[in-house]
Amino acid sequence: MANLSIPSIRERLFNTSRHEQSTQRNSSNPFAATSFKGNVLTADVFESSSKKNDNNISATEKLKASALVGSISGYGERFQNMINSVISFGNRVKENVVNGWNKMNSIEISFAPAREVMGSFYGSIKDTLNTPVNEIFFTGISAKSVSKMEDMSMARQLLSDNVAMYEAMV
Amino acid sequence: MTVDKKTAKNVTNIIEGLGMNSNPETISILEDVGTNSKVDAIREMTSRALVRKNEHDALKVVITNKGKGINDMSTIVAMSTINELLSLSDKSEAMRVLSDTVEMHTDEEVRDNARSVKALMALS
Repeated sequence: MANLSIPSIRERLFNTSRHEQSTQRNSSNPFAATSFKGNVLTADVFESSSKKNDNNISATEKLKASALVGSISGYGERFQNMINSVISFGNRVKENVVNGWNKMNSIEISFAPAREVMGSFYGSIKDTLNTPVNEIFFTGISAKSVSKMEDMSMARQLLSDNVAMYEAMV
Repeated sequence: MTVDKKTAKNVTNIIEGLGMNSNPETISILEDVGTNSKVDAIREMTSRALVRKNEHDALKVVITNKGKGINDMSTIVAMSTINELLSLSDKSEAMRVLSDTVEMHTDEEVRDNARSVKALMALS
């Protein structure tokens, strides 16, 4: 028979059974008193544990993937910056070279004495190259100088001395 | 003992220079110093220089003198002198000297040598 006493009725109305008191969570949920049979849902009981794990992995991978993509896009930007800086550096060098070349051209054209000096230098080099090597390095008596000699006593003495020197070595 | 290159070059240049020098006294210098040297190479160079002058007095030195030029005791010197005579573009003066030597020289050996060289020059 139903217990119709006042405490029992109050207990039923406000759901303060001993069982429910023991199962009530130490939660700050303000709806805890009105939740399902007075139990506070502390976990997602509507999804399987396996599905929950899959979601966790997927989320991690998504994070990793997004981080990777972000890093790749960062590298690309850095490469682009590097390439741009190299291109700008090359352009600066090119401009400097072109300007320098133009300056050199203008100097050469306007500075005629230098060109004359260079021309005479080139001529002397050409003459030297046409001279036999033994005549360039030989510092003794040349046949040309003897052929133009006018003092015959000196020429006789020169030949006598050198022949004597030659004969002394044989 | 070997001759150093500078001395050899000096002697060569002096002899060549005297051969090119137009002063007539150079002939006597070459004859006195060069053709009387005890060194074959010096006598050879001197004889060739005298032939290249292609002058009567210079050619006489190497054709008519016993022991010099074509009459040298050294075969190398004699052959070099003959070769130089054969190389002359104008051989007329050399032929004249050779003819005079063949006809008038007192030494038979010199005459024979001159005759042989003359024959060679006539054929060349």
